[in-house]
Amino acid sequence: MQKFKEKLYNYEAEPPFEIWQNIAKELDGGDNKLASRRGFRKGSKLVFYGFTAAASLIIIFAVSVFFDASKTDPGTASNLLNQSQNILPKQIQDSLNLNNKILKEIINSAKDKNLLALNYEMSSRYGKKYLTVAGPECQPVKISPKVATLIESTDNEYPPKPVWNKKIEKWQQIMLGSTLSPTSTNLLDVVQLSATLDNNE
Amino acid sequence: MQELLYKKFSSKMYGVCLRYSGNADDANDLLQEGFIKVFKNLLKFRGDGSFEGWMRRIFVNTSIEHFRKKVKLYNVTEVQENTIEDTDLNILDTLAEKDLIILVNELSPGYKTVFNMHVIEGYSHKEIADILGITEGTSKSQLARAKGVLKKSLEKMINKAGNNTINT
Repeated sequence: MQKFKEKLYNYEAEPPFEIWQNIAKELDGGDNKLASRRGFRKGSKLVFYGFTAAASLIIIFAVSVFFDASKTDPGTASNLLNQSQNILPKQIQDSLNLNNKILKEIINSAKDKNLLALNYEMSSRYGKKYLTVAGPECQPVKISPKVATLIESTDNEYPPKPVWNKKIEKWQQIMLGSTLSPTSTNLLDVVQLSATLDNNE
Repeated sequence: MQELLYKKFSSKMYGVCLRYSGNADDANDLLQEGFIKVFKNLLKFRGDGSFEGWMRRIFVNTSIEHFRKKVKLYNVTEVQENTIEDTDLNILDTLAEKDLIILVNELSPGYKTVFNMHVIEGYSHKEIADILGITEGTSKSQLARAKGVLKKSLEKMINKAGNNTINT
């Protein structure tokens, strides 16, 4: 085996001439490829920086326009919100004032409460069928004039009328015997039910 | 610079390629591929060993890589315990390198690769197994088969030479 190694390890043979030409050509081509790749990388970097700069300018422009508009334009969202916040309580307050006024008229009136309420319902003086009063959480709740009278009559400030006491007592009994519980949405139905029962009697 | 390197080492490296390839066409491809690798990796040469040794490794690896794709090595039974060592080795002295190359190239690609790596380049069976992705046993069995085939070829040559002597 050693003789094989001795003879073959340094064995030399002359390669064909064209091999060097092929190698030289491939090396030149490889350099060109490398050069073109470098050019592409350089070009792609320039494009990337260009896009970055353009995007930055657009963002800066958009932000400046937004802030400028918010300073000068009174119709922007924040201003509208402030306005609505100012307007809404005022409307509610007006409505409540009106309701209070009507309630006082009803309560202080010497006339029969039912009649007054009926008159109110029928009249177009206020253009409203229902009254808006402040709810437990100060939310606007629409109630009929009848219910307003009913509520007011339970207040000790005003002398309770026997007729209303009886109605309330009956209503309480109905409510105790029923699974219905009065809420802001079904209060009118409950009252209506009470009225129907009265009529049936 | 590149051309000078080529001129200095091309014939030696071509010898390596011929040993592994078995034919001139493949050897030409290997030489070209090997030199391109050398030129592209010149900066990686750290000067630890000889430049020729570094370059030779590149060519051997290129050749192995080339034939690894083509050749699947199978484990064969250990055969021919009496191998080339038992044969009359004087004939090896009389044979020219070119004839030995022809003998080696008559081996199948698997035998030839293991024979070249172990006997000529000096790789251990473990290294061969790692490089070629085979077991050490396969490497050993391939080498044994290679030696057996070479022995037969050499014996034929001896007989032929003996007959020629008798005839004369």
